[in-house]
Amino acid sequence: MADVIGQVQICPDVFLLTLRADEIAEAASPGQFCMVEVRSHGDMDPLLRRPLSIHRVVGGGEIEFLYRVVGHGTYLLSQHCPGDRLYVLGPLGHGFQIVPGCPAILVGGGLGSAPLLFLAEELARDMVTVILGAPTKEELLCVEQFTAIGHQVLLATEDGSMGRHGLVTDVLSEVLSHGPDPRSCIFTCGPWPMMRAVYDMAHKRGLSCQVSLEARMACGIGLCLGCAVRRQDGQGYLHVCTEGPVFDAERVSWEPRQ
Amino acid sequence: MIAPDLSTNIGPLRLKNPVLLASGTCGYGEELKDLLDLNQLGGIIVKGISIRPRPGNPPPRLAETPCGLLNSIGLENIGIERFIREKLPWLQGLKTSVIVNIFGESTGEYAEMARRLDGVTGIQAIEVNISCPNVDGGIVSGTDPEAAAGVTRAVKRSTDLPVIVKLSPNVTDITKVAQEVASAGADAISLINTVLGMAIDVRSRRPCLARIFGGLSGPAIKPIALRMVWQVVRSVDIPVIGIGGISTYEDALEFLMAGAKAIEVGTATLVQPSSAENILAGIRTYMESNGLHRIGDLHLHI
Ligand SMILES: Cc1cc2nc3c(=O)[nH]c(=O)nc-3n(C[C@H](O)[C@H](O)[C@H](O)COP(=O)(O)OP(=O)(O)OC[C@H]3O[C@@H](n4cnc5c(N)ncnc54)[C@H](O)[C@@H]3O)c2cc1C
Ligand SMILES: Cc1cc2nc3c(=O)[nH]c(=O)nc-3n(C[C@H](O)[C@H](O)[C@H](O)COP(=O)(O)O)c2cc1C
Ligand code: FES
Repeated sequence: MADVIGQVQICPDVFLLTLRADEIAEAASPGQFCMVEVRSHGDMDPLLRRPLSIHRVVGGGEIEFLYRVVGHGTYLLSQHCPGDRLYVLGPLGHGFQIVPGCPAILVGGGLGSAPLLFLAEELARDMVTVILGAPTKEELLCVEQFTAIGHQVLLATEDGSMGRHGLVTDVLSEVLSHGPDPRSCIFTCGPWPMMRAVYDMAHKRGLSCQVSLEARMACGIGLCLGCAVRRQDGQGYLHVCTEGPVFDAERVSWEPRQ
Repeated sequence: MIAPDLSTNIGPLRLKNPVLLASGTCGYGEELKDLLDLNQLGGIIVKGISIRPRPGNPPPRLAETPCGLLNSIGLENIGIERFIREKLPWLQGLKTSVIVNIFGESTGEYAEMARRLDGVTGIQAIEVNISCPNVDGGIVSGTDPEAAAGVTRAVKRSTDLPVIVKLSPNVTDITKVAQEVASAGADAISLINTVLGMAIDVRSRRPCLARIFGGLSGPAIKPIALRMVWQVVRSVDIPVIGIGGISTYEDALEFLMAGAKAIEVGTATLVQPSSAENILAGIRTYMESNGLHRIGDLHLHI
C-alpha cells in the first residue's frame, strides 16, 4: 500500500500523482513501471490495476506518475487525494539500458515524456539531447524539468505554437543530419506511429534505439501472457510486462497494427 | 477450540486445503514466488501446456468489461518438453500439490501428454482442459459430451495420476457433459472455464480483441459458475472443484456451500497476487467462528 501525497492537474487531462512508496523508490530504475490500483477499496470495478511508468523518484521515498485521463480507470485515479492509500505493485519490467559514455537522444511524444524524465535525470552527466513534441504548446510536458537538468531541449508542436512547427521526427531528422556520433543511443516513448518513425531513422543510420512500449495488461508480472507484441523475427511474441516495457527496437515488429 | 481441518480429498488426490490457483492465471508458479507463499495453498495448477510450443493469438489479447476480463491468449505455452525441463524443477521444490493443465488438438495428443507426465516426479494430478474457447477446435471436445468422454477415457488409460476434467460453460446442459465425463472414469471435475464473450471499442469501431471473441472471467461470471457447480455436484458422484470469479473468502464459501470440494482462484490473482492467501485465511476464520470442523461441513444439503 502506498500513501497518496499529491495529485496535481498539470493541464486539462494530465495529472501528476505523487505516492509515498519507499521500497519502490529504492529499487526503481528509469523505464520501469508500476501496476496502480485505481478503484476505491471495497469496489469491484474496474477490476484491473493500470500500468503507469515511473515518471520520477524524489527524495524521501516518493515516486511520481504523470498520466493522462483517457477513460474510466484513469479518471478514477485522478479522483484520489492526499490521505488515500492505493495498492501499487512495482517496480516492474525492464527499463532503459544506459550505455555509459555514449551520447543520448531522448525523443518523447505527448505523454511519452513521462518515463523519459527519470532517464534524463540518471543521464545528468552525459551528453543528452531531449526532443519533445505535442499537438499544442499546452500539451508539451515537463519542458522546464528537462531544461533544469541542464540538457539541450528541442521542441516541436503540430500547430506551431511553440518550438518547431511540425513533429518530433522532423526535429530528430535535423539533429541526425549533422552526422551524429555513431555511438549515439536513441531512447523513445510516445504514440506507436511516432516510435516507428524514430526507429526507422535510427535503423537507417545504424544507431541503437530503445523503445518503451505499451500493451493492454492484466497482471503486469508475467502471469496472464496478455501483453503480447509481435517480434520482428517472426518467432512469436514479446511480453511487454516481463521482457519490456523497454525493448531494443530491432526486436519489435513495426508492421502496422491491424 | 479445535482448529478446523481444511484438508480435502479430490478423489485420490489429497489437498491440505481447498484453495488452488487456476491455470493460466499463475504462470508456472515461479513468477509469484515473492508475492505469495505458494506452500500455504492447497495447490497450483500451472499454465495449460500442449505437445508442441504454441505462440498464442495476435494482440490485443485482453479487454476489460464491467467486473470482468476478456482474454484470447490462445494457450501460448512452451510445450510439454520445455515445461518438464525448465519449469518443473522449480515446482518440485514446493510443498504443495502441483497439478498440470493439458490441452490437445486431438484425443491422441491428450493421451500422449498424459503418458509423458505419468511417473514424472513432482506432479500430483492432471487437469484436462477440454474447454478452451480461444483456439480453433478447442471448444468442440468441451461441448460434445461424447468427445469429452473420449478424451477422458484416453487420458485415464494413459496415466495413473488423478485426472481432473475441466468443463466449459459454453454448453446447453452442463450436467450431460459432466455425467459423460464421470462415467468415462474422471477422478474429478473442475468448472467453469471462461464464458465466451466479446467487446467492441466504439471509438475505434473495432472489436477489442484481435480474435473478436474471447473468454470472460472474473466476478462477472460468478453467478453462472455457481449455478453450474450446484447442478454438477447434484448430478455426478465424483468430487467437483469450483472456479469462476472467486475474489473473496465469501465467494469461495458460496462454492463450498454449493458442494464443491475445492476452489480455484483465477482472475483475482491477476488483480491482487496474494488473493488466494486472503481467501484461505478467510475460510479458516469463518469455520472457526462458526464451529465448523471440516470442509464438508460447509456443504448445504437442500
Ligand atoms: C508499461 C506501460 C506504461 C504506461 N505508462 C503510462 C504513463 O506513464 N502515463 C500514462 O498516461 N499512461 C501510461 N500508460 C497507458 C495507461 O496504462 C492507460 O492509458 C490506462 O490503462 C487507461 O486506462 P483507462 O481505464 O483510463 O482507459 P480505458 O477505459 O481502459 O481505455 C480508454 C482508451 O484508452 C486506450 N488505452 C487504454 N489502455 C491503453 C494502453 N495500455 N495503451 C494504449 N492505449 C490504451 C483504449 O484503447 C481506449 O481507447 C502505460 C501503459 C503501459 C502498458
Ligand atoms: C488470462 C487467462 C488465461 C487462462 N488460461 C487457461 C489455460 O491455459 N487453461 C485453462 O484450463 N484455463 C485457463 N483459463 C481459465 C481459468 O483457469 C478459469 O477457469 C477462468 O478464468 C474462470 O475463473 P476466474 O473467474 O477466477 O478467473 C485462463 C483464464 C485467464 C483469465
Ligand atoms: S500483463 Fe500479464 S503477462 Fe504481461
